[in-house]
Amino acid sequence: MISKFNYVAPNNLRSALKFLSDKKTNSKILAGGTDIIPGFHIESKRFIDTELLIDIKKIPGLNEIKEKKDYVEIGACVTFSQITESDIIKQYFPLLAKAAETVGSVQIRNRATVVGNFVNNAPCADSVPPLLVYNAKIEIQSLTKKRQIDLQKFLIKPYTTALKKNEIVTKIIIPKPDPDLKGDFYKLGRRRAVAISRISLAVLMKKKNDLIDEIRIASGAVTPIGTRLYDLERFAKGKQANSETYKELAIQMGRLVLEITGLRWSSEYKLPVLQQTFYQLLERINSDEN
Amino acid sequence: MKTKNTSMIKLKFILNGKEIELETLPNKRLIDLLRNDLNLTGTKEGCSIGECGACTVIMNGKAVNSCLVLAGEINGSEIITIEGISNDGELHPLQENFLKYGAVQCGFCIPGMILSAYALLKKFPNPDEEQIKEAIAGNLCRCTGYKQIIEAIKNTKIS
Repeated sequence: MISKFNYVAPNNLRSALKFLSDKKTNSKILAGGTDIIPGFHIESKRFIDTELLIDIKKIPGLNEIKEKKDYVEIGACVTFSQITESDIIKQYFPLLAKAAETVGSVQIRNRATVVGNFVNNAPCADSVPPLLVYNAKIEIQSLTKKRQIDLQKFLIKPYTTALKKNEIVTKIIIPKPDPDLKGDFYKLGRRRAVAISRISLAVLMKKKNDLIDEIRIASGAVTPIGTRLYDLERFAKGKQANSETYKELAIQMGRLVLEITGLRWSSEYKLPVLQQTFYQLLERINSDEN
Repeated sequence: MKTKNTSMIKLKFILNGKEIELETLPNKRLIDLLRNDLNLTGTKEGCSIGECGACTVIMNGKAVNSCLVLAGEINGSEIITIEGISNDGELHPLQENFLKYGAVQCGFCIPGMILSAYALLKKFPNPDEEQIKEAIAGNLCRCTGYKQIIEAIKNTKIS
């Protein structure tokens, strides 16, 4: 048996927010539960003092993927299985669909939610690099306020986000990207299936007259949290889109990650792998475009 | 740590085709409810953190780890456990084939393995080998190996 807590499953957002804003009760939102429930089992300090779990899966509308004119909304209870099966996601956000396929197992993907993935904000959260290169925003609601924030700003440090105690992330809002942006997602784990990422990368690139017109690069697992590498993007912009440039970018990527993380026991083997996989990713995107 | 008082929760759900109503503690997981309260011990607890798949059951048609589902979350849903797929003591075609192809050794992973396969076959009646491997990627077997298990699933036809 796991430690004691109370459980409620309100059927509307307002009632969930009321439970959440009770300052006397240490409460947490429950969506997929695939981090929280094993967290209780291993008596993780992050969860053990929780007195009330507020299950938001009975709230109508939160489990939907909605296509609007210029953007797509992903509700807070949308699971990774829903993402992998959605034609809308496959059409506009193929990197997110690809990342979703690499998350856990069928059983995990049937429960785990994309929003829960980044609210938990583990360094290895597979949905984060793709969402960052697609410039995802999120909508957050409390009893009195609704606000939108860029995902990059929402993620603060490992297991910490800008979410306040009385707030719920209700949806992800992703603008439909320029169709000329081509890209790919890469994940390296210790084995092929049901693996925690050791390296993850998402890249979107647009070429114009053989030059890199726009590039968006995000990393996961090799940086403390998933993050956009804006310095590297600025460095790449305007350069020739060829192997020489990609090699140069890969070298810079290694330097940049070393600067962010400092020298670690794993740096000696991880950085060359990171550089090589990033290089291959760029070449693959390049050849897909031609 | 604060002392916590918990209140019982009421649940109504369908388990292996039968409607069940009961009261239980909110900190029970589905696997605790099945094994301890309902004596359905066919569902096994292995790793308890969603990695081994021994506790796999079917919830609303989908394979889930019952160690990652709280009792409260099953309210209003339909659950199928290994006990629910045979018919009056007659084995399910998947169970028959696991025996026929020698896919069972110690047996601990088998209930979960069969239910993952069951969910797959309901969705794709003629899966290819890649689909089978994907479907059972979350079910660890540490004795038979996967070859016979894949053969058994591949050769099962269910209606």
